[in-house]
Amino acid sequence: MKVFSNTVTYEYSWDEVSTANWRKYGPWNNKSEHVIAVDTLSRRVDVATGILRTERLITCKQAAPDWIKSLLGGNMEESFVYEASYVDPQNKTVTMVSQNLTWSNLVRVQEEVVYKPLSEHQTQFLQSARITALCGGWQRIKNGIEDSLCTRFKENAVKGREGFERVLEMSRIVFAEEKERLQQQKLALM
Amino acid sequence: MSASLAPECNEVKERYDTCFLKWYSEKYLRGAEKDNKECAGLFNEYQKCLSVALKDRGIDKLLDEAREDNKENDVRLTAPRK
Repeated sequence: MKVFSNTVTYEYSWDEVSTANWRKYGPWNNKSEHVIAVDTLSRRVDVATGILRTERLITCKQAAPDWIKSLLGGNMEESFVYEASYVDPQNKTVTMVSQNLTWSNLVRVQEEVVYKPLSEHQTQFLQSARITALCGGWQRIKNGIEDSLCTRFKENAVKGREGFERVLEMSRIVFAEEKERLQQQKLALM
Repeated sequence: MSASLAPECNEVKERYDTCFLKWYSEKYLRGAEKDNKECAGLFNEYQKCLSVALKDRGIDKLLDEAREDNKENDVRLTAPRK
């Protein structure tokens, strides 16, 4: 098993980050070409705790390294990830857990992401992923698969940060414009 | 907003996502509402479209297994905190 972890501080409030998070893989993100679709499967607010639970299906298109392709064969172009997220507005935390649906008999990838406020204007992003190759037999191949996926996580983490920074920036601009527009409307009515 | 894996669901998904985001930022985060009633109609329409696509692609079965796997997380992450 390999573990990948990563921490990022965003200079935005938790409210802004937790809202922008829903559009992380939208058109404002120019660094997430590998995510081609995000579908919501279920969504519910728990009456007792106020926690919002959402299930999503993430469709990725990212070519696997050639040696893995030749080992596993078949079409590896599209892969699916199941994500469950929990927003706790009282404690101001967003926790997202995800696992791979594709090739799950060969490798298990479990990721957990937490967004929580550091201050009124800062939000911390904590990411950890556990990568376990399940195929029996050769340890060298298992290590190879785990290392290769770990490297992919590292590469995607850099892109993820850059892409999300842009989404946050755009969200703030659009929100300010919207506020301005409403203000103008109000003035026009007076 | 991001696309749906089923292109035929894109239009209703876009409308639902927009509705949800507005509710989330304006009501849910402000503690005003726990129920996303205003988007329920759009959500049902979107799910009707999506469920066909998931079934056709055999993803529905993979999801059932993942949900089973995720039960521990559900318990841990929906428990009331002190």
